[in-house]
Order: sequence, then C-alpha cells, then structure tokens
Amino acid sequence: MTVETLLLVAAALFGIGVYGALSQQSFVMIMMGLELMLSGAILATGTLWAMAAGGTPKGQLLAIVLVTVMAVEMAIGFALVVNVYRIRKADITEKLKTLRG
Amino acid sequence: MTDVLFWIMSGISVLSAWRVFRTDSMVRAAYWLMVSFAAVAVILVLLSAEFLGLVLLLMLAGEMTIMAVFMVMFMMNPAGLNPMTMVHQHRAAIAAGVLSFLGLGAVGVFGRFPAGVSFATRDVTARLGMELLNDSMLIFQTAGVTLLATMIGALAIASRRGRYGLADEDSIEPAVENSQNAGEGPPSTEKGSA
Amino acid sequence: MTDWLVMVVVTTTSVGLALTLGIYGTVVLDRVIGRSIAGEPLRLTRALVGPFQHAALLLLQQRSDTERSDSATWAVAPALLGALAAAALAVVPLTPAVALEVSSGIVYFGATMAMVMVAVFLNGWSANSTFPLIGGYRFVAQALSFEMPLVLVLIAAALPAESLNVADIVRSQDTLWNVVRQPLGLPLYLIAALGVSFLGPLGLPDGIDLAGGTVAELSGTALLLWRAAQAAVLVAVSAMGAAVFLGGWLGPWLPGSVWMALKTLLLIALMVVAKHLFGRVRLERFVVVSWVVLIPVALVHVFLSGILALRRIGS
Repeated sequence: MTVETLLLVAAALFGIGVYGALSQQSFVMIMMGLELMLSGAILATGTLWAMAAGGTPKGQLLAIVLVTVMAVEMAIGFALVVNVYRIRKADITEKLKTLRG
Repeated sequence: MTDVLFWIMSGISVLSAWRVFRTDSMVRAAYWLMVSFAAVAVILVLLSAEFLGLVLLLMLAGEMTIMAVFMVMFMMNPAGLNPMTMVHQHRAAIAAGVLSFLGLGAVGVFGRFPAGVSFATRDVTARLGMELLNDSMLIFQTAGVTLLATMIGALAIASRRGRYGLADEDSIEPAVENSQNAGEGPPSTEKGSA
Repeated sequence: MTDWLVMVVVTTTSVGLALTLGIYGTVVLDRVIGRSIAGEPLRLTRALVGPFQHAALLLLQQRSDTERSDSATWAVAPALLGALAAAALAVVPLTPAVALEVSSGIVYFGATMAMVMVAVFLNGWSANSTFPLIGGYRFVAQALSFEMPLVLVLIAAALPAESLNVADIVRSQDTLWNVVRQPLGLPLYLIAALGVSFLGPLGLPDGIDLAGGTVAELSGTALLLWRAAQAAVLVAVSAMGAAVFLGGWLGPWLPGSVWMALKTLLLIALMVVAKHLFGRVRLERFVVVSWVVLIPVALVHVFLSGILALRRIGS
C-alpha cells in the first residue's frame, strides 16, 4: 500500500466516473458518475492526508468538505430532477434540449 | 495483512464502480455504487481516517437507497428485465474516462510527494474533533450552513405545493412540442375556427 | 499478527455466541409474553421447544419463488441484515475483557443501523411483487425518520464520557447510569430501536395491512433466515442500549457478562411487550411525529446533556 497505488485506484474511480457522467443518458446515472468522481477525490485526499501530510487534522477537514459537496450535489440534483420530471416529463438528457422554464 | 485487505478493497471498489454502468437493473446500479463507496470507506479506515470512513458509510446508506428509489420512480425498465443501453457519445466518453485516468494516474505515479511521513497515530478522531471545533471552526460551520441552505433550496425547488397552489398547475408543456409549434404557426384546430 | 488473530477469533466467538443466545431468548420471550398478554395458559416446555419446531418446519418447507425475481439481491438481503447485526454487536462491549476498542464506535454503530435500510429495501424490491415493494418504500421513509433521533441520543450519551468509544461510555457510568443522568435518552432510543428492528407498532414494512409486506413472498428457509436476522438486529440494538444507558457490565455481585446479558434481555423484553401491547401506527403519522417532535426533542436532549457534561467538567 503505497501512495502511488492508492492514487492509481483513486484515478481509476475518477476515470470511470468521468465515463459515466459523459456517457449516460439518465439523469440519475449521470449523478452516479459524478458521485464516483467525488469518491475518487475523497480517496486521493485521504491518501495524501495519511501518507504525505503526516496526518494533520486539516487534511481530514478537506475530506469532510468533499463529503459535504457530495451531499449538496445529491440534494440539489435530485430536487432539479424531480422538478424537471414534473414539468417536462423528462428523465433523460435527450428530452431536455433547452433549459428555459 | 493490511496490504492484502487493501488490495482486496481496491479491487472491489474499482470493479463494482465499473459494474455500475454495466448492469441493466437500476437498483443494482445504485447498490454497486454503494459497494464501491463502502470499499473506499474501508480503505480510509485502513489509512486510519476512521471517523471519515465511518461517516462516509453512514451517509451513503441513505443516499444510495434514495437513489435507488428515484431510479424506480423515474426510469423505464428499472429492474433491467429487458436489456438496454442508454448511452450517448459513447466513444468520446470512454476516451475521456481513459484520458483522465491516465492523466491523474501519471500525477500519482510520477508526482513527488513528501515521503517518509509516518501514519497518523491512534488519537486521530480526537485530534480531528479538536481541529473541527477550534482552529477550523469557521470552515466546519460554513459546511453546516451550506447544508442548511441546500436543504431549503432543495425543498423550494422540489416542493409541489407552492404559495399559489400546486407548482405544476398550468405549467408549460414539454419544450420539444413548444418549439415545434413556434415553427409551424398556430395549431390546426385554431386555424379552422379562424 | 497473533494479536490481530486473537482479537478476530475472540470477537467472532463472542458475537456468535451472543447472537445465538439472543435470538433464541428473543423468540422464547416473544412466545411467553405474547401468551401471557393474550391471557392464554403458559406452558414452559412448549415455549422452550417451540422455536426449534418452528425452525424445523420452515427448513423443511418448500421455498416459493416469484416470476422474474431478482434472485441474487433477494439472497443477499437476509445475509446483509444478519451481517449488519453481527457487525453492530461487535463494537458493543459484552464484558470488560472482550471490549473491542473502536475510537468511533458510536458512529460505526450508526452506520450499520443506517445500512439496515438497504437490507430491508432490497428484500422488498427483489421479489418483483407489489406488496413487498410497498413495504420496502415504507421502510425507507421510516428509516429516514428514526435515524436522526437514534444517532442524536447516542451522541448525547457519548458527551459525558468525552469519547465515541462504547467501552469508554460504559466506564463513564461508574457512578451514575445514563438512564438517570439523561432521562430522555432511553425512551427516545427505544422508539428508534423499535423502528430499526421493525417490530410491533413500527412493524410497517411487513405489516398485516400489506398482507405481509416485505415478507409476503418469503417462505421456507428464506423466511427463517429473515426472521432470524430481524431478531439479531433486535439483539444488537438492545445490547447497545444496555451498554449505553443501563451501564453495560457494571453491577454488584454478579460477573460483568451476566449483568450485560440481563440488561440486554430486559430491553428485549420491553420491546417485545411493546410489540404485543401497542397497535401499529400509520406511517405518515410516524414520519410527522418523528420530524416534528422526536428530532427536536433529541436535539434539546443533546444540548442539555452537553451543558451538564460541561458543568461537570468545569467543576
């Protein structure tokens, strides 16, 4: 378990997340891709915190901020999806060509 | 021992992350994502970020279940009874994914980090608590206020019952139809009456 | 390396033993209390042997299947529920000697109890049948409502101990048990515990009004495993309640493990009595009461406990 291998795992998670966020049509699947990217970011933060920053608590604070970002993304994302579905009956990106009301 | 566990968890997290986009069942996709996150949480615990890993687990149980419920509500074919792929710009997306993996991986492999620093000690959780409520209190509180604002915002966006009745009453039809109508002029029924 | 191995073996053995005895005790208590509340004559041998007969019947029963069920996740659900109960019980110190010192034990326990939602939802979802799915939805709503009070009262109990380690919380009750020190804690915890083990008044996912809900399509071994896992969750939350609010292994004359077992059984009995005495509440009523009453009360409880803990430290 070295910095390199851990960062490679994080990069793999991030890469899969990028693929998902770009390729999926369903809104919820896109959000899954975003979550995976954030998971890679959290893993990388945790790695660098433990192995390169000597475990100062500030590094973990950054990870906690990332977890907050994840929660915010989920909540606002789902609120938007609910609203879009209610008004436009759209559940995939192709049905949502414009962003106007 | 830790190394073996680490390799297993890394494998689980990457493989299940890949399964997320390769399964037809939406509920399974959500829970594969949860498995991937849980493996990341275990790695964090192995890195002695115990509190962080456990909070991640605590959060994602609810999060992924809500995701699964949303999938069942909104998606056609949520159980994956009929195989289907719902992707666009597939090749470009694969290329982007591989590119970002290679780029970030290169940073990880070739980057130079201050090495030789030992693992954090056992009282990590206590030190994190002191940090959260002492020096970094402002950051911590900002995160809290952000979450509060998010809750209010999400409710305001998603709530069906607005101040002037139901939010979706008399709302516009799907924009696809709107733009078609704009191009062809008024609908045919009105033509006849005029 | 050997330390590690010893720890794993000891924890596995003690958790396995506690779960087996606890599940059996729960089923016997359920029969005894159910019959005595119903005013029926009590036959002790029947109550003691009955669980085995019932289990044997279920083992021999044919297992039914639904059309195009998600069989993989259906098989995972009871295993996950049982594993979560065992994992939760692992951080509860059963005796002073076998205490697994996890520095964030309370958070860990909260995480496992949040995961119960996943297991129940999967069990409802996988059957590919209407009533189980509604049961699964119900449990998600129910779990999102009781999760907050559950975690908040546990955190309040951690305040006087100045530690999230469960063994430290038990040690902090040396002079005064938390049930006295924090009078609001145990009642709130018991409500949430009923919710997490979906029993009686909060047995919404498998209620009779849903024709069995999440268990409607279960039979044979699957039903046996699911019920056993449910009882295991009840044992785990009761053990945690006994450790956090009733002083765990602390007590005169008897050895610590006996005290812990007695206190756990007391909490299990309380919840089984509630199961037989109270009618099922409606889900929307529970959700409203939880968010409007229970969560604010739990927050007030945290603040009060914090003030008391600060005063004690200051003096």
